[in-house]
Amino acid sequence: MRGKAAWTERIVDAGAVPAAFVPAASGGRSDVEEIAGAELVEEERVAVHAVAPGGGPATVSFLDGIQRWAVVGYDGVVPIVRGYVAAAARRRGADRRLRVAREAARELAVAPLALLRAGVRRALEESGAAVIDLGAEAAGQPGRLLVAAQQAVNAERVRVETEVAEAVAARLGAEEWLVVDGLLSESAKLAGHPRALGVIKSHSAQYFEGADLQTALTCPGGTRTSVFRPRGRARHEVYSWYLRLWPWEGNDLLFGLLRIEARAHAGTVATATGVSSWLLAERAPLATPDARFDRLLYPIHDVETYLRSRAPRDLLLTAGSRLPKTGT
Amino acid sequence: MIDRASPASPPVGRVVATELKPATPYQFHFWTAQETTVGIGAIVRVEEQSKGNGEGGRVVYGVVTDAFAYSDLATPLHDVIGAEGDPARAAEAPTVRQEIRLWTAAVLRQIPEEPLQPVPLGRVLVASDADVAQALRMDAYLTGAAPTGIPIGLYTSGGLESPVYLDADFLLGPEAAHLNISGVSGLATKTSAVEFLLASIFQHFPVHKGKIAAVCFNVKGPDLCFLDQAGTLSDEDRRRYERLGVAPRAFERVRYYAPFKADGVNLNTLRTHPDLAPTVEPLVWGLAEVLDYAEVLLNRDDIDAKADAFIDFLSDRVLNRDFEDGFGGTHRVQSFADLDRLFRAIIGGLEDAGRSDMWRTHHIATIRKVRNRLSNISTRCKGLVADDGQSSDLPWGAFADRTAYIVDLANVDPLGQDLVFARVVSKLREHLERRDLGVEAVVVFVDELNKYAPADGPDTYVKKMLLDISERGRYLGLVLFAAEQFRSQVHRRVVGNAGTQVFGRMDMDELATPGYQVLSPATKIKLATLPIGELMIRHPHFTQPIFVRFPRPAALRGRDGVERFPPAADLPFAEAVVRQLVRLDRGVRPNLVKDLIADRDEVDVRRALAAVRRARPDDVTAYLRKALGSRVAVDAPRARPVVPPLNPISEEPY
Ligand SMILES: Nc1ncnc2c1ncn2[C@@H]1O[C@H](COP(=O)(O)OP(=O)(O)OP(=O)(O)O)[C@@H](O)[C@H]1O
Ligand SMILES: [Mg+2]
Repeated sequence: MRGKAAWTERIVDAGAVPAAFVPAASGGRSDVEEIAGAELVEEERVAVHAVAPGGGPATVSFLDGIQRWAVVGYDGVVPIVRGYVAAAARRRGADRRLRVAREAARELAVAPLALLRAGVRRALEESGAAVIDLGAEAAGQPGRLLVAAQQAVNAERVRVETEVAEAVAARLGAEEWLVVDGLLSESAKLAGHPRALGVIKSHSAQYFEGADLQTALTCPGGTRTSVFRPRGRARHEVYSWYLRLWPWEGNDLLFGLLRIEARAHAGTVATATGVSSWLLAERAPLATPDARFDRLLYPIHDVETYLRSRAPRDLLLTAGSRLPKTGT
Repeated sequence: MIDRASPASPPVGRVVATELKPATPYQFHFWTAQETTVGIGAIVRVEEQSKGNGEGGRVVYGVVTDAFAYSDLATPLHDVIGAEGDPARAAEAPTVRQEIRLWTAAVLRQIPEEPLQPVPLGRVLVASDADVAQALRMDAYLTGAAPTGIPIGLYTSGGLESPVYLDADFLLGPEAAHLNISGVSGLATKTSAVEFLLASIFQHFPVHKGKIAAVCFNVKGPDLCFLDQAGTLSDEDRRRYERLGVAPRAFERVRYYAPFKADGVNLNTLRTHPDLAPTVEPLVWGLAEVLDYAEVLLNRDDIDAKADAFIDFLSDRVLNRDFEDGFGGTHRVQSFADLDRLFRAIIGGLEDAGRSDMWRTHHIATIRKVRNRLSNISTRCKGLVADDGQSSDLPWGAFADRTAYIVDLANVDPLGQDLVFARVVSKLREHLERRDLGVEAVVVFVDELNKYAPADGPDTYVKKMLLDISERGRYLGLVLFAAEQFRSQVHRRVVGNAGTQVFGRMDMDELATPGYQVLSPATKIKLATLPIGELMIRHPHFTQPIFVRFPRPAALRGRDGVERFPPAADLPFAEAVVRQLVRLDRGVRPNLVKDLIADRDEVDVRRALAAVRRARPDDVTAYLRKALGSRVAVDAPRARPVVPPLNPISEEPY
């Protein structure tokens, strides 16, 4: 019988960890892009520490942002993009329910103004939306302009997120924490805040190689890695560590893997296990039906749902058939 | 009583509609905060966002019929995963999932009514007094020159209380009429609700509609025996009375009627406490009254034209006339005893002659059957039927406004109940048709309707009569208020014709019968768990059933009545006679009366007593003496006081 067993089973018998993961259809994984490098601050080598789920601070605010964009017209071959960015912080108190603490939203009109006819340009400027001029460098090819437009909208989203996050951080209660979806290192105020955390779900940058990389990326469910200082792109200095929410075996290497960012401070090393412990407790409730539920904290999911429900309806159309929808 | 100046309150919800749960002209959905006063049966007001041109938008009133709660949980399995299989941990999650309280409401009214459109996706507010009046279309009959509102109870929701009124034109005719109330024993407060409503009607029946009275058949213990006595009310109930604009007092004008017990002198009622007894009038009928409704007796189980014809012959040709039996005897039939003498003469005569089975076109078997039935009633309803042909009855032609006439039949044989019922209702009908009853409208209250108009079983005279009232009574001012535990056990057309339908706490099995399919599951649950004192009302003006709370009746409850006024033990014959006479004349000297009747036969005394009762003479004692003397001399030898039925057990006709 053994001879007949599938080779996929035989590799497991030989010591490989079983997994089940189909990379996104758009041409393989794009996660691992750069090796950024890191400097360990907790231990000599990357080590794994068990974490038990536990209680967190009584009050925590969670912050997330969304962006939407759509081409709404062409002047010749020049695309004109309508964008929408929004961010909100929702505070969770003793009743364990989330309520909006602060939010901001912006309508955008994105186009290379110099390439537009005078009338079209005037209509944009009078639209009431924040006009973002793409400049003429990307001109020539509509496709290239679209990439530039998307980046511009993305940058606006980061800006509005940062605005809201900094405003909330400035008024954070003495015992209150702020958890931001994404990098903390984009803002000096956040990166230096003693009770702000960044929670990163995508792992396009890698900080380790070799044995350290293996230890970090195969840490079991309910563990964290040693604290390190990421090098490379980060604008402002932070400390970071990996936290595994769910066992990855049988799924994918990155299943349930979060990278946490916190202030670059000795205190962060001391509190890493405690912080990991209450973040681990955030596994419940599960952030389904979102496909990223293994890494998406429910409160962040909640903020996103809130923002989506308030976004302009006409920008929510998902790509798909242009035929009108008919009865179910 | 409608508070028109309620302050504007903030919205409590918002209408939502999806392709799967759209808003329609008759139904909509809305959500509220987790903590809300909205519940099943709550009345809400939906406001369309005004169009910005100063025009107010559409306003819709609805009543909540169903409720849903759910969270953003995609499948129950995800909760298991999140809690890692441990239910205890499920409650400890640091964040509470988003949840919704989603309500379904049925439209009560849209303003404007035309064009009829889907409910707008507007904000939802709890209804104020004025909103409730609008929603239930009560504005049409509460305002104007001749309002016709009759308070029925308080619509109660989230600390708000609004009076709900029925329209007298639709409760008591002529537009619609009749009321049916059903619900389980003891918890449905059926009898109490009717008592309260009668009080409310007596206080609010509009003067322009004329005079109204009620005839109530008491068929259950002491239920209606103390309506003229005040019960105890809580402050809360007093407040409700005030809010409804009904004075919390016992009935001011009540008249009680009860047949005698078999002894013919003690009244067959629980209202016999010495402090109250003189107020009960005897209900006694003679042969003539019984013969008129003999159909009731004969048709209980079979229709028999031959027997009918013979009874007609008796009433037309024999009763109160000098009649020759054809065997040499002459009879003047005035009582059951006289009649039985005639029967014996005929049957004996036929047997002696031995030639024929026929007597004046009537077969001997028919004669036997009629004799059997008639003697049956004189035995089974001994206290109701007088042997001497003299009657004491309801005040036909002299009914008084806002007066309750209670006929106590609680301890009367079912046959007698049928007879009383048939005769009283027929007389009411007759007088209302002739417009000489004394009042323009009469409410007839029948408890235990399932006994008198059962869904299945033979078409008895009483059932046919109830059908007739329910179908035609409203034109006459003859209004039926009926109660039963299980509506499904009552003839469909009798309940179906009731314009106003009331439901107290209901039995789950009953709610599962087809008659309740229109109710939502949530409404059924509410009905099955309805607290004491709450009712669900259907009324022609209300497009949907409405829940109200009514105060306890202000009159003394039957059960408390028998405690406060324990029934007296039956009096010995002589004492009972004295009691009867004292009622007529307080100056009667008991010992004198006792001496007078000391060696008289009870039959004679009863007859004399009936004569006194009828004549209401100035000098009661003298009249009694005269009545006793004259009759005794003429009447020897007397018939036996009670005629035993020939065959008391067999119901077979021949
Ligand atoms: N409005 C009220 N609020 C609170 N309690 C009430 C109210 N009305 C009646 N009750 C109480 O409810 C009990 C039952 O009432 P009632 O006798 O009217 O019920 P029912 O439906 O007629 O019962 P049954 O079928 O046995 O005749 C009584 O004890 C009465 O005191
Ligand atoms: Mg009752």
